Amino acid sequence: MKKRNTASESGGETAFRSVTLGDPESNSQPPPPDRVVITHEDIDRAHDREQVSATRARRGFRPRLRLFWLLIGPGILVMLGENDGPSMLSYAATGARFGVGFFVPFVVLTFLMACVVQEMTVRLGAATHRGHAELIFDRFGPFWGWFSMIDLMVGNFLTLVTEFIAIRAGLGFFGVRPAVAVLGALLVLSVALMTHRYWTWERIILGAATFNLVFVPVALLAHPHWHEVAHSLLTWKPLPGGLTQETVLILLANIGATVTPWMLFFQQSAIADKGLTTHDIRMGRVDTALGAALATVAALATMLATAPLFLHHMSAANFEAAEFAQALQPFVGHWGAALFALGIFEAGMVAAITISTSSAYAFGEVARRPHSLNLPFKQGKAFYLVLLLEAAAAGGLVLIPGIPLVYIVLLVNVIAVLAMPPALLFLYMLVNDREIMGDLVSPLWANVLALGVVIILIAAGLLFGLSVIAPNALAVIGAK
Amino acid sequence: MEKHLDSVPDHEVSREEITSVMTALEPDQLIFAKEHHHCPRRQLTATEMILFWALRIYLVFMVGVVVYQIWTGVR
Repeated sequence: MKKRNTASESGGETAFRSVTLGDPESNSQPPPPDRVVITHEDIDRAHDREQVSATRARRGFRPRLRLFWLLIGPGILVMLGENDGPSMLSYAATGARFGVGFFVPFVVLTFLMACVVQEMTVRLGAATHRGHAELIFDRFGPFWGWFSMIDLMVGNFLTLVTEFIAIRAGLGFFGVRPAVAVLGALLVLSVALMTHRYWTWERIILGAATFNLVFVPVALLAHPHWHEVAHSLLTWKPLPGGLTQETVLILLANIGATVTPWMLFFQQSAIADKGLTTHDIRMGRVDTALGAALATVAALATMLATAPLFLHHMSAANFEAAEFAQALQPFVGHWGAALFALGIFEAGMVAAITISTSSAYAFGEVARRPHSLNLPFKQGKAFYLVLLLEAAAAGGLVLIPGIPLVYIVLLVNVIAVLAMPPALLFLYMLVNDREIMGDLVSPLWANVLALGVVIILIAAGLLFGLSVIAPNALAVIGAK
Repeated sequence: MEKHLDSVPDHEVSREEITSVMTALEPDQLIFAKEHHHCPRRQLTATEMILFWALRIYLVFMVGVVVYQIWTGVR
């Protein structure tokens, strides 16, 4: 048995003493209720929280700004993380196929949907201090918990594969060989983890995620017709060509580019790991909204950047990232094309880090293993190994010659949309569970919006099913 | 046999650190609390069970559609 310092509170005073501990992973012998074990993770988190409390106690503009800086992170990361490789390729394909029109306001709508969904995870994480997978297992039991985990793990692995496809394709534009690109990305992912501090990790990834905005200068170089962009945003033109198998697929890909199950798991776990409390919910909402706004700008910029391909009637049906960059070169110049390829690489890289982290959080929560980016490698071995092994397996798969990469990219966003309604039902029930949420249960307006999102997702899924099984039936619904 | 808590620090915890943790964190934010106290399981109502199963069947069916699309695409 090991002796270590602990603290106990009695009569309003904190007393310190050394006690003998049993195995904390076994609940057979619960510890005395007045004793608390302090861990490395607690100390790191307390240090972060002290800064938040000290800043909150001060008045004025600068302390408010500092508080904002201290509390932002999970929302921006999740939104820019979701602007990942397949998402940016979906936006690029949309711009190249349809130009500026129906899909400009549609993308804004999908990010509004993402805001509605992610706001619920902010409240849930801040109120319970628990990760999403842990709450599902605790409240609904292992039977439904495992279903949810399988959905997440399969979706995350497939998405990770597409992130490495994006990394490979983005760096391919600069002549980097696939094996070097994948190994380099795995190295970057490992280096980011070496900080063993959630705060430092979050700042590094936030810095990297802002490169998602490199699509903005590319869009500017493409000289879009701003009047047309504003007009399409305000009037919402009809779906070009009506409902066809292709437009339904693009619709689904664009929805899947903004609302996916891993986002729920990641943001809630990150909020718990960051140590946010109910006092931080307002700032958590601002963080999420800001992330959505930045991600919307990057998504629209990608569509505007590839719109010249539509105007010049260039077919981009089977383009991958590097081919998009090459095709854009006559319109945006070499630097524009290079920025586009760099943006695709960045999108894949940031998403590879956030998605593998979401898997590791979920695994740790379900397996009851330590799961925090504040843990040293020795103490969080299982957490870090799951994260690294999943990324390595996905990266390795991309290097297999002859693997149908285009099909995998296609699959990922579609599966994300299909898996979302069951994931949202768990979230909806948890966030309306007064036993764990108390007064922070969803208000009526939030529930109406959430149900609206579920209905849109199910309708989109069914439309996709119809387009595959009975393509002619689409003509009856709305084809021109 | 000596048993270890995985998340325990490898150095001795100082009084300042203990005070910092006890004042800065809410009781249920402590790892110790998270490891020992779990949310109780709730009973699902019949409507909730129907919804869960309906969405599960929807997902399985739609995955079948995706597989079918890939199969026809490959052919």
